[in-house]
Amino acid sequence: MRFGAAITTLLALNILALMLSLGVGSGGYDYLFQVISGNADDTAMKIVLDYRLPRYLMAIIAGASLSASGCAMQALFRNPLAEPYVLGVASGASVGAALSVALSMETIYSRIGLAFFSALLTAYVVYLIGSSSKFRDQTYAILLAGVAIASFFSGLTSVLIYFSAQSMHKVVFWLMGSFSNPFIEEVFFALPITIAGLAYLLITSWNLNALLLGDEHAAAVGINVERFRKSLIAVVALLTSTTVAISGVIGFVGIIVPHTMRILVGEEHQKLLPSTILLSTAFMPVIDVVARISTSGELPVGAITAMLGGPFFLYLLMRRSV
Amino acid sequence: MKLVVKGVTVTLGSRDVLKGVTFEVGEGELLALLGPNGSGKTTMLRTIFGMLKPLKGVVLLDGKKIGSAEEAARKLGFLPQDTPLANLKVIDIVMLGRTPYLSGLKRPGDEDYRAAMEALREVGMEDMADRIFSELSGGERQKVMLARVFAQQPEVMLLDEPTAHLDIAAQIEIMEIIRSKVEEGKAAIVAIHDINLASSFATRILMVKNGKVAYAGRPEDVINEESIRNVFGADVVVRRYGRGVYIAPKLRVPNGLKRVHVICGGGSGREILHMLREAGYKVSAGVVNVLDSDWEVAAELGEVVDEAPFSPISDSSHRKNVEIIENSDAVVLANLSFGRGNFKNLQAAMHAANLNKLVVVDKTPFEGRNFVGKEAEKLYREILGKAVVVKREEEVLDAVRKLLG
Repeated sequence: MRFGAAITTLLALNILALMLSLGVGSGGYDYLFQVISGNADDTAMKIVLDYRLPRYLMAIIAGASLSASGCAMQALFRNPLAEPYVLGVASGASVGAALSVALSMETIYSRIGLAFFSALLTAYVVYLIGSSSKFRDQTYAILLAGVAIASFFSGLTSVLIYFSAQSMHKVVFWLMGSFSNPFIEEVFFALPITIAGLAYLLITSWNLNALLLGDEHAAAVGINVERFRKSLIAVVALLTSTTVAISGVIGFVGIIVPHTMRILVGEEHQKLLPSTILLSTAFMPVIDVVARISTSGELPVGAITAMLGGPFFLYLLMRRSV
Repeated sequence: MKLVVKGVTVTLGSRDVLKGVTFEVGEGELLALLGPNGSGKTTMLRTIFGMLKPLKGVVLLDGKKIGSAEEAARKLGFLPQDTPLANLKVIDIVMLGRTPYLSGLKRPGDEDYRAAMEALREVGMEDMADRIFSELSGGERQKVMLARVFAQQPEVMLLDEPTAHLDIAAQIEIMEIIRSKVEEGKAAIVAIHDINLASSFATRILMVKNGKVAYAGRPEDVINEESIRNVFGADVVVRRYGRGVYIAPKLRVPNGLKRVHVICGGGSGREILHMLREAGYKVSAGVVNVLDSDWEVAAELGEVVDEAPFSPISDSSHRKNVEIIENSDAVVLANLSFGRGNFKNLQAAMHAANLNKLVVVDKTPFEGRNFVGKEAEKLYREILGKAVVVKREEEVLDAVRKLLG
């Protein structure tokens, strides 16, 4: 697919996703049209701007962060199955959130705050352990450290949930990922971090191409690989910690979206990364709409992406190469 | 332009991988680094590029140390040994060579694109710019990687085994591309395992052993049986053609085997030598002239008493030949021609016949191969009387077996 055509299509899909996200729900599109035409009453304004808009923004923030991070991690680890959570941020955030419930710190801010910092701390510990190991290939050591720490923390999370049985449903639902009722403050917290992180990834997408050829080849064209890897890991940790703290663990987006775009526009990151971001900002709000309307209550977004992720993995397996 | 490596010592872990290495390369030089696995060739290239910092010593380009990684990438084109199979387009990979010339935002311009296309043209891959790298053959991939190096427009290329895992045609093509780039006024340091290839293309050779320079000089001065034994610990036969050399393994024979000496020349002993050697005998030959086709075979398979090319057999060579005959369990006189120059070989055969250990291959009439005269004919007839006579080379093995019981 031509890059220009891909971008145009993706932009159209984004507009569609925006309309769906702001329009679907009780009262339907009437509220949206009232807001657009400027003669909306308080209820319409509240539903569209205070309820649906933050939700939409959080969906695109999470989608863009996770898919761009996944894309970067797949290049860094030269592994098609690398995902944004390889640094252990998901399990780190889970422990933090479970801890906040276990300690009866019941405000939403304490949960987000604890999740955010424990996710960042986990990523840092994973990096420290990985990069100081005796492994010849540090990149793989980091990957393995991430797996080890993630499994330890998910065990810890289960124990915490077990002992705080009363309030566990909150954590369990959060763990599966959701965009339900985000506060606009959360969006304002996440938005600048996300924009800065994505800008960094887009600018350094050139270096990601070099990483595909291996650390030594990247160094051979003058890239300071050690420094780049550090900053890449820091940026991805920041992006995913932010998202996971607010929206919980949304799996597979970081794999499905980059791989879909790899198939369509190729592996060159100057094209891959922006189109991955645009696909995810169209994809994630649509998934959220499905989560909202498919039952009388609300399905966890993470459960829907996971159900899409399984078949998608099988599709990747059937392909000649990934 | 001159790259100077002066007294460089590099320690990795607790091991000194390079120990006081000193050499230099200038324009138009293709320096081949030869040495066994683990001798420090790759470490040398990495150190020159600046990826490893020497404990002692310096690397200077035109008298100056190379500063940043970007400056190194503009002046030195480093090609690591292994390349993963990326699904990038060929042109995207070659464009990576422009990285050290890009500004902070890493947006390449037309000039960068032109340089990349020019580099692809130099390796003969300009038609493949839009192909996917991982779908190319091994040789094509290596040409793309060379184009990436060329796109960096370096003064000195540092190439780590650029011909590894390639077929012979691709090996030669890669080396020719490197050579023509060097002839444009660049320099190349190429770590390589193939001694034949190195001696064909290198202007100079550096043989490295245990992190030290063991031999340095022109291929014809450096590549010989002694240097290869010292550096690689391998026994080989070295043959020269023009400036190049051809090395072949010297086969090891288990000790305590019976020894058969073959009097031959002009290709008459080739088949016999191979046959005996394959049957497990320790073989020797003599006296043959250096560069004679029998000499080549004998040198490869065992010991050989030789004489300078086209020279008559000297007394000392003859004495050596007789000595070997006395120490051999059997002697074969091949179906060779005799002239004044090698008449002594017939006398040596007589000596063997008198010791009752001679097999004669009497394939073609002696008159046809006697350029000495009556004297030789008389001697030959006498030899036939005392030896086991066979009519064809194929029968030699049986005759020798019978003779040795």
